[in-house]
Amino acid sequence: MRNANHFNLEENSNHPEAKDLCTLLLRTGTLLMTSGANTERIRKTIQRISDSFDYKAELVINHRSVLLSLENSNGEIYTSLKRTGHHGANFRILSGISRMSWMIVDEKWTIAETHAEIDRLEALPHFPRMVVLLLVSLAGASFCRLAGGEIPDMLFAFTATFVGLFVRQETVKRSFNTYLCVFVASFAASLVAGLGYKLGIADPGNHGFVTSVLFLIPGIPLINSFSDLIDGNIQTGIIRGINGLIISFAIALGLLASMFVYQM
Amino acid sequence: MQLQYLINSFFEINTVLLGITPQLHDWLLIAEKFIWCGFAAAGFAVLFNVPVRTLALIALLGGVGGLTKFTLIHFGFSDVMAPFCGSAVIGLLSIFLAHYKHTPPPVFYIPALIPMVPGVFAYRMMLGMIKLVGNPQAPDYAQVMNATVNNGLKVLFIIMSLAVGVVIPMLVTRSSSVKDLKASSLFSRRDE
Repeated sequence: MRNANHFNLEENSNHPEAKDLCTLLLRTGTLLMTSGANTERIRKTIQRISDSFDYKAELVINHRSVLLSLENSNGEIYTSLKRTGHHGANFRILSGISRMSWMIVDEKWTIAETHAEIDRLEALPHFPRMVVLLLVSLAGASFCRLAGGEIPDMLFAFTATFVGLFVRQETVKRSFNTYLCVFVASFAASLVAGLGYKLGIADPGNHGFVTSVLFLIPGIPLINSFSDLIDGNIQTGIIRGINGLIISFAIALGLLASMFVYQM
Repeated sequence: MQLQYLINSFFEINTVLLGITPQLHDWLLIAEKFIWCGFAAAGFAVLFNVPVRTLALIALLGGVGGLTKFTLIHFGFSDVMAPFCGSAVIGLLSIFLAHYKHTPPPVFYIPALIPMVPGVFAYRMMLGMIKLVGNPQAPDYAQVMNATVNNGLKVLFIIMSLAVGVVIPMLVTRSSSVKDLKASSLFSRRDE
Protein backbone atom coordinates (compact mmCIF):
# COMPACT_ATOMS: atom_id res chain seq x y z
CA MET A 1 0.00 0.00 0.00
CA ARG A 2 1.12 3.49 -0.86
CA ASN A 3 1.85 5.78 2.07
CA ALA A 4 -0.20 9.00 1.91
CA ASN A 5 2.69 11.33 2.70
CA HIS A 6 5.65 9.36 1.40
CA PHE A 7 6.94 12.63 -0.05
CA ASN A 8 8.23 13.51 3.40
CA LEU A 9 9.63 10.14 4.36
CA GLU A 10 13.36 9.49 4.29
CA GLU A 11 14.42 7.45 1.27
CA ASN A 12 13.66 3.77 1.50
CA SER A 13 13.63 1.19 -1.28
CA ASN A 14 10.32 1.90 -2.99
CA HIS A 15 9.39 5.46 -2.04
CA PRO A 16 12.30 7.74 -2.86
CA GLU A 17 12.07 11.53 -2.93
CA ALA A 18 10.90 12.96 -6.23
CA LYS A 19 14.07 15.04 -6.56
CA ASP A 20 16.37 12.01 -6.27
CA LEU A 21 14.31 9.96 -8.70
CA CYS A 22 14.22 12.89 -11.14
CA THR A 23 18.02 13.21 -11.06
CA LEU A 24 18.36 9.50 -11.75
CA LEU A 25 15.83 9.47 -14.60
CA LEU A 26 17.33 12.54 -16.27
CA ARG A 27 20.78 10.98 -16.04
CA THR A 28 19.42 7.79 -17.66
CA GLY A 29 17.55 9.71 -20.37
CA THR A 30 20.42 11.98 -21.42
CA LEU A 31 22.82 9.03 -21.41
CA LEU A 32 20.48 7.07 -23.70
CA MET A 33 20.13 10.07 -26.03
CA THR A 34 23.90 10.52 -26.40
CA SER A 35 24.51 6.77 -26.84
CA GLY A 36 22.28 6.49 -29.90
CA ALA A 37 18.82 5.39 -28.71
CA ASN A 38 15.70 6.54 -30.54
CA THR A 39 13.12 8.73 -28.82
CA GLU A 40 10.53 6.02 -28.22
CA ARG A 41 13.12 3.86 -26.42
CA ILE A 42 14.09 6.73 -24.11
CA ARG A 43 10.45 7.45 -23.27
CA LYS A 44 9.64 3.79 -22.57
CA THR A 45 12.72 3.22 -20.44
CA ILE A 46 12.09 6.28 -18.28
CA GLN A 47 8.40 5.45 -17.86
CA ARG A 48 9.20 1.85 -16.99
CA ILE A 49 11.55 2.97 -14.21
CA SER A 50 9.24 5.71 -12.86
CA ASP A 51 6.26 3.31 -12.83
CA SER A 52 8.20 0.86 -10.71
CA PHE A 53 8.79 3.65 -8.15
CA ASP A 54 5.05 4.60 -8.21
CA TYR A 55 5.53 7.96 -9.92
CA LYS A 56 3.88 9.20 -13.09
CA ALA A 57 6.39 10.67 -15.57
CA GLU A 58 5.75 13.15 -18.41
CA LEU A 59 8.60 13.87 -20.79
CA VAL A 60 9.83 16.32 -23.42
CA ILE A 61 12.76 14.78 -25.30
CA ASN A 62 14.97 16.97 -27.47
CA HIS A 63 18.25 16.34 -29.22
CA ARG A 64 20.19 18.46 -26.72
CA SER A 65 18.04 18.31 -23.57
CA VAL A 66 15.48 16.23 -21.65
CA LEU A 67 12.66 17.80 -19.63
CA LEU A 68 10.97 15.56 -17.05
CA SER A 69 7.96 16.11 -14.81
CA LEU A 70 7.21 13.62 -12.01
CA GLU A 71 3.85 13.39 -10.27
CA ASN A 72 3.19 11.44 -7.06
CA SER A 73 -0.07 9.95 -5.81
CA ASN A 74 -1.03 13.22 -4.05
CA GLY A 75 -0.82 15.15 -7.29
CA GLU A 76 2.38 16.98 -6.26
CA ILE A 77 4.65 17.70 -9.23
CA TYR A 78 8.41 17.99 -9.46
CA THR A 79 9.95 19.17 -12.76
CA SER A 80 13.58 19.33 -13.85
CA LEU A 81 15.65 19.73 -17.01
CA LYS A 82 19.04 18.40 -18.09
CA ARG A 83 21.22 19.09 -21.11
CA THR A 84 22.72 16.14 -22.97
CA GLY A 85 26.47 15.70 -23.32
CA HIS A 86 28.52 15.01 -26.42
CA HIS A 87 26.75 12.64 -28.85
CA GLY A 88 28.76 9.50 -29.61
CA ALA A 89 27.45 6.02 -30.35
CA ASN A 90 27.91 3.56 -27.50
CA PHE A 91 25.71 0.47 -27.73
CA ARG A 92 27.20 -1.07 -24.58
CA ILE A 93 25.45 1.63 -22.57
CA LEU A 94 22.25 1.16 -24.59
CA SER A 95 22.25 -2.56 -23.87
CA GLY A 96 23.23 -2.11 -20.21
CA ILE A 97 20.50 0.44 -19.48
CA SER A 98 17.87 -1.76 -21.10
CA ARG A 99 18.85 -4.62 -18.78
CA MET A 100 19.07 -2.25 -15.83
CA SER A 101 15.51 -0.98 -16.34
CA TRP A 102 14.15 -4.53 -16.18
CA MET A 103 16.24 -5.26 -13.09
CA ILE A 104 14.68 -2.21 -11.39
CA VAL A 105 11.20 -3.56 -12.20
CA ASP A 106 11.88 -7.20 -11.31
CA GLU A 107 14.25 -6.90 -8.36
CA LYS A 108 13.18 -3.51 -6.92
CA TRP A 109 16.58 -1.82 -7.02
CA THR A 110 17.05 1.34 -4.93
CA ILE A 111 18.16 4.70 -6.37
CA ALA A 112 21.68 4.27 -4.97
CA GLU A 113 22.03 0.81 -6.54
CA THR A 114 20.87 2.18 -9.89
CA HIS A 115 23.35 5.08 -9.77
CA ALA A 116 26.11 2.56 -9.02
CA GLU A 117 25.03 0.48 -12.04
CA ILE A 118 25.11 3.55 -14.33
CA ASP A 119 28.58 4.41 -12.98
CA ARG A 120 29.68 0.88 -13.85
CA LEU A 121 28.17 1.13 -17.38
CA GLU A 122 29.91 4.46 -18.03
CA ALA A 123 33.24 2.98 -16.96
CA LEU A 124 32.90 -0.07 -19.27
CA PRO A 125 35.95 -0.37 -21.55
CA HIS A 126 35.80 0.40 -25.27
CA PHE A 127 37.35 -1.92 -27.82
CA PRO A 128 41.17 -1.45 -27.98
CA ARG A 129 42.07 1.34 -30.40
CA MET A 130 44.07 -0.92 -32.72
CA VAL A 131 41.19 -3.42 -32.97
CA VAL A 132 38.81 -0.60 -33.91
CA LEU A 133 41.21 0.81 -36.53
CA LEU A 134 41.89 -2.59 -38.12
CA LEU A 135 38.29 -3.85 -38.16
CA VAL A 136 36.88 -0.59 -39.53
CA SER A 137 39.59 -0.56 -42.20
CA LEU A 138 38.62 -4.12 -43.07
CA ALA A 139 35.05 -2.86 -43.37
CA GLY A 140 36.28 -0.16 -45.79
CA ALA A 141 38.01 -2.80 -47.91
CA SER A 142 34.80 -4.88 -47.84
CA PHE A 143 32.76 -1.91 -49.08
CA CYS A 144 35.27 -1.51 -51.91
CA ARG A 145 34.92 -5.21 -52.85
CA LEU A 146 31.12 -4.96 -52.74
CA ALA A 147 31.29 -1.96 -55.12
CA GLY A 148 33.35 -4.04 -57.55
CA GLY A 149 36.94 -3.37 -56.44
CA GLU A 150 39.97 -5.64 -56.95
CA ILE A 151 42.86 -6.37 -54.57
CA PRO A 152 44.84 -3.11 -55.23
CA ASP A 153 41.67 -1.02 -54.78
CA MET A 154 40.87 -2.87 -51.58
CA LEU A 155 44.37 -2.25 -50.23
CA PHE A 156 44.04 1.46 -50.88
CA ALA A 157 40.55 1.56 -49.34
CA PHE A 158 41.96 -0.25 -46.29
CA THR A 159 44.85 2.21 -45.87
CA ALA A 160 42.66 5.23 -46.55
CA THR A 161 40.06 4.16 -43.97
CA PHE A 162 42.82 3.50 -41.44
CA VAL A 163 44.31 6.99 -41.92
CA GLY A 164 40.90 8.67 -42.02
CA LEU A 165 39.65 6.99 -38.84
CA PHE A 166 42.93 7.81 -37.06
CA VAL A 167 42.56 11.48 -38.03
CA ARG A 168 38.95 11.43 -36.87
CA GLN A 169 39.80 9.92 -33.48
CA GLU A 170 42.55 12.50 -32.95
CA THR A 171 40.34 15.47 -33.90
CA VAL A 172 37.44 14.19 -31.76
CA LYS A 173 39.86 13.80 -28.84
CA ARG A 174 40.84 17.48 -29.22
CA SER A 175 37.07 18.29 -29.24
CA PHE A 176 36.84 20.18 -32.53
CA ASN A 177 33.44 20.88 -34.07
CA THR A 178 31.71 17.57 -35.00
CA TYR A 179 31.26 18.47 -38.66
CA LEU A 180 34.82 19.78 -38.95
CA CYS A 181 36.07 16.41 -37.62
CA VAL A 182 34.06 14.62 -40.32
CA PHE A 183 35.32 16.97 -43.03
CA VAL A 184 38.99 16.56 -42.04
CA ALA A 185 38.65 12.76 -41.78
CA SER A 186 36.94 12.56 -45.17
CA PHE A 187 39.64 14.77 -46.72
CA ALA A 188 42.47 12.67 -45.23
CA ALA A 189 40.90 9.36 -46.29
CA SER A 190 40.20 10.44 -49.86
CA LEU A 191 43.70 11.96 -50.20
CA VAL A 192 45.20 8.55 -49.43
CA ALA A 193 42.72 6.75 -51.73
CA GLY A 194 43.38 9.24 -54.54
CA LEU A 195 47.10 8.50 -54.28
CA GLY A 196 46.33 5.07 -55.74
CA TYR A 197 45.03 6.66 -58.94
CA LYS A 198 47.92 9.11 -59.17
CA LEU A 199 50.41 6.25 -58.89
CA GLY A 200 48.39 4.26 -61.43
CA ILE A 201 47.94 1.25 -59.11
CA ALA A 202 44.18 1.40 -58.42
CA ASP A 203 41.46 1.61 -61.08
CA PRO A 204 39.28 4.78 -60.88
CA GLY A 205 36.30 2.80 -62.22
CA ASN A 206 36.33 0.56 -59.15
CA HIS A 207 35.09 3.10 -56.60
CA GLY A 208 38.02 2.80 -54.17
CA PHE A 209 37.86 6.58 -53.84
CA VAL A 210 34.29 6.81 -52.57
CA THR A 211 34.30 3.62 -50.49
CA SER A 212 37.28 4.98 -48.51
CA VAL A 213 35.01 7.55 -46.81
CA LEU A 214 32.04 5.24 -46.15
CA PHE A 215 33.14 4.66 -42.54
CA LEU A 216 31.91 8.20 -41.84
CA ILE A 217 28.30 7.68 -43.01
CA PRO A 218 25.84 8.89 -40.34
CA GLY A 219 24.08 5.53 -39.94
CA ILE A 220 22.67 6.09 -36.45
CA PRO A 221 21.28 9.63 -37.08
CA LEU A 222 19.63 8.59 -40.36
CA ILE A 223 18.10 5.30 -39.16
CA ASN A 224 16.96 6.85 -35.86
CA SER A 225 15.54 9.79 -37.80
CA PHE A 226 13.26 7.54 -39.83
CA SER A 227 12.26 5.39 -36.87
CA ASP A 228 11.36 8.55 -34.90
CA LEU A 229 9.28 9.81 -37.84
CA ILE A 230 7.44 6.47 -38.05
CA ASP A 231 6.75 6.53 -34.29
CA GLY A 232 5.25 10.03 -34.61
CA ASN A 233 8.11 11.89 -32.90
CA ILE A 234 8.30 14.20 -35.91
CA GLN A 235 10.33 16.94 -34.22
CA THR A 236 13.26 14.82 -33.06
CA GLY A 237 13.04 12.88 -36.34
CA ILE A 238 13.55 16.04 -38.38
CA ILE A 239 16.38 17.24 -36.14
CA ARG A 240 18.20 13.92 -36.43
CA GLY A 241 17.66 13.89 -40.20
CA ILE A 242 19.14 17.39 -40.61
CA ASN A 243 22.09 16.37 -38.45
CA GLY A 244 22.65 13.35 -40.72
CA LEU A 245 22.38 15.54 -43.82
CA ILE A 246 25.01 17.99 -42.55
CA ILE A 247 27.37 15.09 -41.78
CA SER A 248 26.82 13.74 -45.34
CA PHE A 249 27.51 17.22 -46.68
CA ALA A 250 30.77 17.40 -44.69
CA ILE A 251 31.82 14.03 -46.17
CA ALA A 252 31.06 15.27 -49.70
CA LEU A 253 33.01 18.48 -49.04
CA GLY A 254 36.07 16.45 -47.95
CA LEU A 255 35.83 14.33 -51.13
CA LEU A 256 35.53 17.47 -53.27
CA ALA A 257 38.55 19.06 -51.59
CA SER A 258 40.80 16.13 -52.41
CA MET A 259 39.37 15.90 -55.95
CA PHE A 260 40.42 19.54 -56.29
CA VAL A 261 43.92 18.71 -54.98
CA TYR A 262 44.35 15.88 -57.49
CA GLN A 263 42.59 17.82 -60.32
CA MET A 264 40.35 14.79 -60.99
CA MET B 1 47.16 -9.90 -60.49
CA GLN B 2 43.44 -9.21 -60.47
CA LEU B 3 41.14 -10.88 -58.00
CA GLN B 4 38.38 -11.30 -60.57
CA TYR B 5 40.83 -12.97 -62.92
CA LEU B 6 41.99 -15.32 -60.16
CA ILE B 7 38.42 -16.22 -59.29
CA ASN B 8 37.49 -16.70 -62.95
CA SER B 9 40.46 -18.94 -63.67
CA PHE B 10 39.76 -20.88 -60.48
CA PHE B 11 36.24 -21.55 -61.67
CA GLU B 12 37.40 -22.39 -65.20
CA ILE B 13 39.56 -25.15 -63.74
CA ASN B 14 36.70 -26.28 -61.54
CA THR B 15 34.28 -26.27 -64.46
CA VAL B 16 36.38 -29.01 -66.00
CA LEU B 17 37.30 -30.88 -62.83
CA LEU B 18 34.25 -30.52 -60.63
CA GLY B 19 31.53 -29.69 -63.10
CA ILE B 20 30.79 -26.17 -61.78
CA THR B 21 28.26 -24.63 -64.14
CA PRO B 22 27.96 -20.90 -64.91
CA GLN B 23 24.81 -20.79 -62.73
CA LEU B 24 26.76 -22.21 -59.80
CA HIS B 25 29.48 -19.64 -60.53
CA ASP B 26 26.93 -16.82 -60.11
CA TRP B 27 25.79 -18.31 -56.83
CA LEU B 28 29.34 -18.54 -55.56
CA LEU B 29 29.89 -14.85 -56.37
CA ILE B 30 26.76 -14.02 -54.35
CA ALA B 31 28.02 -16.21 -51.51
CA GLU B 32 31.30 -14.29 -51.56
CA LYS B 33 29.37 -11.08 -50.90
CA PHE B 34 28.02 -12.69 -47.72
CA ILE B 35 31.56 -12.57 -46.30
CA TRP B 36 32.21 -8.94 -47.26
CA CYS B 37 28.85 -7.74 -45.90
CA GLY B 38 29.65 -9.56 -42.67
CA PHE B 39 33.05 -7.85 -42.36
CA ALA B 40 31.50 -4.44 -43.07
CA ALA B 41 28.82 -4.98 -40.40
CA ALA B 42 31.46 -6.14 -37.88
CA GLY B 43 33.56 -3.02 -38.56
CA PHE B 44 30.65 -0.73 -37.78
CA ALA B 45 29.68 -2.82 -34.76
CA VAL B 46 33.14 -2.17 -33.31
CA LEU B 47 32.84 1.52 -34.17
CA PHE B 48 29.54 1.67 -32.25
CA ASN B 49 31.12 -0.19 -29.29
CA VAL B 50 28.62 -3.07 -29.13
CA PRO B 51 28.81 -5.66 -26.30
CA VAL B 52 31.43 -8.28 -27.16
CA ARG B 53 28.93 -11.16 -26.89
CA THR B 54 26.92 -9.75 -29.83
CA LEU B 55 29.79 -9.05 -32.25
CA ALA B 56 29.84 -12.41 -34.09
CA LEU B 57 26.04 -12.44 -34.41
CA ILE B 58 26.02 -8.91 -35.88
CA ALA B 59 28.54 -9.99 -38.53
CA LEU B 60 26.35 -12.99 -39.33
CA LEU B 61 23.22 -10.82 -39.47
CA GLY B 62 24.89 -8.32 -41.82
CA GLY B 63 25.95 -11.23 -44.03
CA VAL B 64 22.43 -12.69 -44.12
CA GLY B 65 20.94 -9.29 -45.00
CA GLY B 66 23.45 -8.79 -47.81
CA LEU B 67 22.85 -12.35 -49.04
CA THR B 68 19.09 -11.70 -49.19
CA LYS B 69 19.60 -8.45 -51.09
CA PHE B 70 22.00 -9.83 -53.70
CA THR B 71 19.96 -13.02 -54.18
CA LEU B 72 16.83 -10.96 -54.86
CA ILE B 73 18.75 -8.68 -57.27
CA HIS B 74 19.84 -11.89 -59.05
CA PHE B 75 16.15 -12.76 -59.45
CA GLY B 76 15.41 -9.35 -60.95
CA PHE B 77 14.20 -7.32 -57.95
CA SER B 78 14.77 -3.57 -58.30
CA ASP B 79 17.50 -1.57 -56.53
CA VAL B 80 14.91 -0.37 -54.00
CA MET B 81 12.87 -3.55 -53.39
CA ALA B 82 15.89 -5.80 -52.77
CA PRO B 83 17.36 -3.70 -49.90
CA PHE B 84 13.84 -3.37 -48.49
CA CYS B 85 13.45 -7.15 -48.26
CA GLY B 86 17.01 -7.51 -46.94
CA SER B 87 16.37 -5.02 -44.15
CA ALA B 88 13.04 -6.68 -43.28
CA VAL B 89 14.92 -9.97 -42.83
CA ILE B 90 17.45 -8.19 -40.59
CA GLY B 91 14.65 -6.60 -38.55
CA LEU B 92 12.86 -9.93 -38.06
CA LEU B 93 16.02 -11.82 -37.06
CA SER B 94 17.09 -9.04 -34.69
CA ILE B 95 13.94 -9.67 -32.61
CA PHE B 96 14.93 -13.30 -32.04
CA LEU B 97 18.56 -12.35 -31.38
CA ALA B 98 17.44 -9.68 -28.89
CA HIS B 99 15.73 -12.44 -26.88
CA TYR B 100 18.65 -14.80 -27.18
CA LYS B 101 21.32 -12.29 -26.07
CA HIS B 102 19.17 -10.02 -23.83
CA THR B 103 20.15 -6.92 -25.80
CA PRO B 104 17.80 -4.43 -27.50
CA PRO B 105 17.22 -4.99 -31.27
CA PRO B 106 18.83 -1.69 -32.47
CA VAL B 107 22.20 -2.98 -31.24
CA PHE B 108 21.83 -5.75 -33.84
CA TYR B 109 20.04 -4.07 -36.72
CA ILE B 110 21.82 -0.70 -37.00
CA PRO B 111 25.34 -2.08 -37.68
CA ALA B 112 23.90 -4.88 -39.85
CA LEU B 113 22.06 -2.38 -42.09
CA ILE B 114 25.14 -0.25 -42.85
CA PRO B 115 26.60 -2.51 -45.62
CA MET B 116 23.43 -1.85 -47.65
CA VAL B 117 23.77 1.96 -47.58
CA PRO B 118 23.95 3.17 -51.23
CA GLY B 119 27.35 4.88 -51.08
CA VAL B 120 28.16 4.61 -54.78
CA PHE B 121 24.79 6.06 -55.87
CA ALA B 122 25.32 8.98 -53.46
CA TYR B 123 28.79 9.58 -54.91
CA ARG B 124 27.45 9.59 -58.49
CA MET B 125 24.70 12.00 -57.45
CA MET B 126 27.29 14.32 -55.93
CA LEU B 127 29.47 14.27 -59.07
CA GLY B 128 26.40 14.98 -61.20
CA MET B 129 25.41 17.92 -59.01
CA ILE B 130 28.87 19.45 -59.41
CA LYS B 131 28.50 19.20 -63.19
CA LEU B 132 25.03 20.76 -62.98
CA VAL B 133 26.48 23.75 -61.11
CA GLY B 134 28.78 24.32 -64.15
CA ASN B 135 27.92 25.56 -67.65
CA PRO B 136 24.17 25.03 -68.45
CA GLN B 137 24.86 25.32 -72.21
CA ALA B 138 27.00 22.15 -72.19
CA PRO B 139 25.74 19.63 -74.79
CA ASP B 140 25.25 16.82 -72.28
CA TYR B 141 23.49 18.96 -69.64
CA ALA B 142 20.08 17.27 -69.97
CA GLN B 143 21.67 13.82 -69.86
CA VAL B 144 23.62 14.68 -66.68
CA MET B 145 20.42 16.08 -65.16
CA ASN B 146 18.54 12.83 -65.83
CA ALA B 147 21.30 10.70 -64.36
CA THR B 148 21.64 12.92 -61.28
CA VAL B 149 17.92 12.94 -60.51
CA ASN B 150 17.82 9.17 -61.00
CA ASN B 151 20.78 8.55 -58.67
CA GLY B 152 19.50 11.02 -56.07
CA LEU B 153 16.04 9.45 -55.95
CA LYS B 154 17.61 5.99 -55.67
CA VAL B 155 19.65 7.15 -52.65
CA LEU B 156 16.59 8.65 -50.99
CA PHE B 157 14.34 5.66 -51.61
CA ILE B 158 16.93 3.04 -50.67
CA ILE B 159 17.65 4.76 -47.34
CA MET B 160 13.93 5.12 -46.68
CA SER B 161 13.26 1.48 -47.55
CA LEU B 162 16.10 0.36 -45.25
CA ALA B 163 14.69 2.33 -42.32
CA VAL B 164 11.08 1.26 -42.95
CA GLY B 165 11.92 -2.37 -43.74
CA VAL B 166 13.78 -2.88 -40.49
CA VAL B 167 10.96 -1.63 -38.24
CA ILE B 168 8.15 -3.43 -40.11
CA PRO B 169 8.56 -6.68 -38.12
CA MET B 170 8.28 -4.67 -34.89
CA LEU B 171 5.25 -2.71 -36.15
CA VAL B 172 3.49 -5.91 -37.21
CA THR B 173 4.00 -7.54 -33.82
CA ARG B 174 2.51 -4.42 -32.14
CA SER B 175 4.29 -4.89 -28.86
CA SER B 176 5.70 -2.09 -26.76
CA SER B 177 8.87 -4.03 -25.95
CA VAL B 178 10.49 -7.06 -27.58
CA LYS B 179 10.81 -8.53 -24.09
CA ASP B 180 7.06 -9.19 -24.21
CA LEU B 181 7.35 -11.10 -27.49
CA LYS B 182 7.37 -14.86 -27.62
CA ALA B 183 8.39 -16.54 -30.84
CA SER B 184 5.12 -18.53 -30.89
CA SER B 185 2.92 -15.45 -30.48
CA LEU B 186 4.90 -13.30 -32.90
CA PHE B 187 1.92 -12.49 -35.08
CA SER B 188 -0.82 -12.50 -32.49
CA ARG B 189 -1.95 -9.17 -31.14
CA ARG B 190 -1.09 -7.99 -27.63
CA ASP B 191 -3.04 -5.24 -25.97
CA GLU B 192 -0.91 -3.13 -23.68
